Amino acid sequence: MALLEIQNLSFTYKGADEAALKNINLSIESGDFVLICGESGCGKTTLFRLLKKQFRPNGELEGSIKFNGVPISELDERASVTEIGYVMQDPDNQTVTDKVWHEIAFGLESLGENSDTIRRKVAEICGFFGIGEWYHKRTSELSGGQKQILALASIMVMDPSVLLLDEPTAQLDPIAASEFLSSLRKINEELGVTVIIAEHRLEEVFSMATKAVLMDKAKIFFSDTPKRAGQRSLSLYEHKIYKGLPSSLRLFHALGGEGDAPLTVKEGKKFISENYRDEIKRIEQVPIDFSDKNKAIEINEGYFRYERELPDVLSGLDLTVYENEFLCILGANGAGKTTLLKVLSGVKRLYRGKYRLWGKKIREYSGVSLYRNNIACLPQNPKNLFVKETVYSDLLEVAKLLPYNKEERAAAVEEVCLKLGIKELCNKHPYDLSGGERQKAAMAKILLVKPEILLLDEPTKGLDAYSKSEIAAILKALQAEGKTIVTVTHDIEFAAEYSDRCAMFFDGKIVSIADKVEFFATNGYYTTAASRMTRPMFENAVTVEAAEELCRLNGKRKDND
Amino acid sequence: MRLGTRRRMRLGDAKMRYFDRLHPLSALVYFLMIILIAMITMHPVITAVCYLTAVIFCGMLIGFGKLLSSLAYSIPLMILIALTNPIFVHKGETILFFLNDNPVTAEAILYGANASMMLMAVFYWCRNYSTIMTSDKFIYLFGRVIPKLSLVLSLTLAFIPKLKRRYKEIDEAQKGLGIYAGKNFTDRILGKFRVLSILLTDSLENALETADSMKARGYGLKGRASYAIYRFTLSDLAFLIATAVFGVGTLTFIALGAADFGFYPSITPINLSIQSCVMYCALAILGFVSVFCEIKENLIWRYWKSKT
Amino acid sequence: MKKDLFAICIVIFILALVFSGVKIQSVDEYYLVHIDDITPESQTVFLTIRCDTILDNWQQLDPALRYEKYVPSDGVILKRHEYVLRDGDTVYDILDRAIRHNKIQMECAYSVNYASVYVKGINHLYEFSCGELSGWMYTVNGIFPNYGCSKYVLRDGDEIVWSYTCDLGRDVGCDWGMQK
Repeated sequence: MALLEIQNLSFTYKGADEAALKNINLSIESGDFVLICGESGCGKTTLFRLLKKQFRPNGELEGSIKFNGVPISELDERASVTEIGYVMQDPDNQTVTDKVWHEIAFGLESLGENSDTIRRKVAEICGFFGIGEWYHKRTSELSGGQKQILALASIMVMDPSVLLLDEPTAQLDPIAASEFLSSLRKINEELGVTVIIAEHRLEEVFSMATKAVLMDKAKIFFSDTPKRAGQRSLSLYEHKIYKGLPSSLRLFHALGGEGDAPLTVKEGKKFISENYRDEIKRIEQVPIDFSDKNKAIEINEGYFRYERELPDVLSGLDLTVYENEFLCILGANGAGKTTLLKVLSGVKRLYRGKYRLWGKKIREYSGVSLYRNNIACLPQNPKNLFVKETVYSDLLEVAKLLPYNKEERAAAVEEVCLKLGIKELCNKHPYDLSGGERQKAAMAKILLVKPEILLLDEPTKGLDAYSKSEIAAILKALQAEGKTIVTVTHDIEFAAEYSDRCAMFFDGKIVSIADKVEFFATNGYYTTAASRMTRPMFENAVTVEAAEELCRLNGKRKDND
Repeated sequence: MRLGTRRRMRLGDAKMRYFDRLHPLSALVYFLMIILIAMITMHPVITAVCYLTAVIFCGMLIGFGKLLSSLAYSIPLMILIALTNPIFVHKGETILFFLNDNPVTAEAILYGANASMMLMAVFYWCRNYSTIMTSDKFIYLFGRVIPKLSLVLSLTLAFIPKLKRRYKEIDEAQKGLGIYAGKNFTDRILGKFRVLSILLTDSLENALETADSMKARGYGLKGRASYAIYRFTLSDLAFLIATAVFGVGTLTFIALGAADFGFYPSITPINLSIQSCVMYCALAILGFVSVFCEIKENLIWRYWKSKT
Repeated sequence: MKKDLFAICIVIFILALVFSGVKIQSVDEYYLVHIDDITPESQTVFLTIRCDTILDNWQQLDPALRYEKYVPSDGVILKRHEYVLRDGDTVYDILDRAIRHNKIQMECAYSVNYASVYVKGINHLYEFSCGELSGWMYTVNGIFPNYGCSKYVLRDGDEIVWSYTCDLGRDVGCDWGMQK
């Protein structure tokens, strides 16, 4: 008997017209590692919340969900708490108490275990996750990655047999995310705990799963082993999550592969070298020449620190951004990229060094003039921007900052909404939007002050592949209008696909800056999966599209035919 | 980056301290006892002992370098308070000079000195208290009496740093967009108001998620237990008993009048009767027991290190 | 935080100095008061300061004050004496002059409510030094004036008595309480 048996499940939220889930059939065996993917709003979260009795939303439910043969709704409260663990997206909001040890013990306290049992179980869990070192710390001192591991540990301490994780790595940087995923793999493999995870970033997790479920518009449209997801018959191209799938799988699919698809860089490399020739090494292309363009931003020998006793965050930074370029600044977490943006946007000032904006010293821009028709910064968390009850009134409010009269203001808002395609969101509360929608609304807000230079902090964080490409399209359109765009990001694939130039930020300075193809083609480790997969056969295939093109140009190996 | 450095700095502070291992109950009783004694009387010997032990103990806890820099402020402050008293109080026999027809007396100055010393003794003991009695120890102690309250405290203490961080983030986001970024006062006030309004919506939203996280971990089930990482050992008991004996002893003598002392109109000579001497000794033992425990801890550590 | 606290204290200290003005006198300078010699033409008043009620309420007296030098055994701090009256002299002026001349300790405060000087203590005997109802009161020619001593302008031959009460004046013959 399956551990979790979902049969003909349909669910409609109270007051909603359309069903959030339609006719879902899914059977999950004990020990499975199930990956559920799909664009945001496809019903993943609804499905997850239906699986946990405490979270069951209000609405109309058809069909059945059985856990060990017992319907979820009839499950004993205690059993539902301990057997089914639930890890949420935001590491911050999940921490309840102020100390790490208390956080881990919280669940066991609720269950009323005695002190000795709690002590033993907490000790075991800390050993398993390597929490010992920060056991006595305050939760507020932890990094995002540590917080998420803590959230996982404080669920695992209750010994669940199923673990539900709703986009657990969305808010984490790539290194913390892969650490988290490897903890998850350990739980699955060493403890045999069933894992059900919803994710947008599939590059890593896809190969870990024993079962991949692709959801689309409240329905399941694919449910099988991940290797079969590359099948041609699926025609994934048109599908919104295509861009989120692992590079090797996409390449396999694009080249019309049949059978089991490669899921990792290693397998992808093998697939290419076995099937394709490598006479043509590179696609020749001329990098865009910026030398004759105006310098929008110029920093020479910039130094910055937060407080006198603290070390430099920027030390000897040199950076030039040309007019109308799209620059991506990449770098590890905590390297100071966000600080760099704060300095660029004038929120923080360098304590040594020159910062010129359009050839004029930043200090000479008095007060507000820096932000009118000039420079604007989109923060990492778009929630930080919204003040009003609806998106529309929020946008109107920003428009007031510019010298418009009433009609012009409304017209300006209208124009921006049309441009970004957020007309239908106007009457919603900003907090009710999905991640991608919220990012677009925030972008609209920024655009209303008509900046020439747009600074973006991790614009793709936590977004699904489709929303990412939408954001990218908007950015490209803005660039075509003549705007200059600087983004700070962890997202290598995004940078490789859409930017003009990329810069590597490390140790308080820009250590390398180059045309994106050259940048990723020369980087050995810090580069796209496509680039890692195709080297040394091809020299500059930094995107899946480029790899596909080179494969096609070279043609299939004779001896294989 | 920034937080990271701070975190490291805090780790560097992790000295080996006896009081960190002491059971919170013993520590709490000790601190309350000595703060009570320091506040209850104006006897200069008692004040001086409390002040001295407070300062030395503080040095043992936070390091003598930091103590010095703190004394660099507190000693001039003490002198200031001592000098301010005679401006307002003109009692006392020994007139030094007249300031605006009002006498400045030696008694008033000495009274001021004693009062400021008492103030500083209480201040340093409170500081030692907060160094040792971290929130979780406090919560642990009161959690036994009122479990709900202790949980609420813990939640609040977890929530405050989150709020602070979010406030900063929002503030910077608003500035980066140039909304109310002007330098004038109205803009700044309006800007702060905006930030607070966003913060409010945001934290309400986040609180819902936190509540979910609590529910997911069985909050609300019947028979909640309260777990703590502290265990009451024999040495904690010994410390508690010693504290009780010497503390209550001192208080009894004070109640019996062994510590009666007056500054006006002339200073009472210091009482050297047997009763008073016993009281001074009891207090000295109570005050220095903390210092001795820390010294002992240091010596044990040195000895252990020399052996290995 | 520490810096702020420090700065605030300094400011208070300086303000206190400024508001009280700065006039520094040595002890001898202060007590060096010219008392006019009595001539046949000069107008004069009589002043007595006494605290004999304390002798009846010895148990209530602050232990620190139970000495002959604070409470003389006859209850008289300043024997009846004749002082020259200058033009416009009030009760307070005479008291101040007499006290300085005899080097007796005294503390006064200006009371805004009564727009007058209020005597807090004489010879270290303060209000409340001998029970809750104790303090200094004065009579002129046997009558308790119901206003401040620096408002009462004296006439030739007035008889002033400052007496310490331990019972809101009832024990020294003041009947304000009875009238009400």
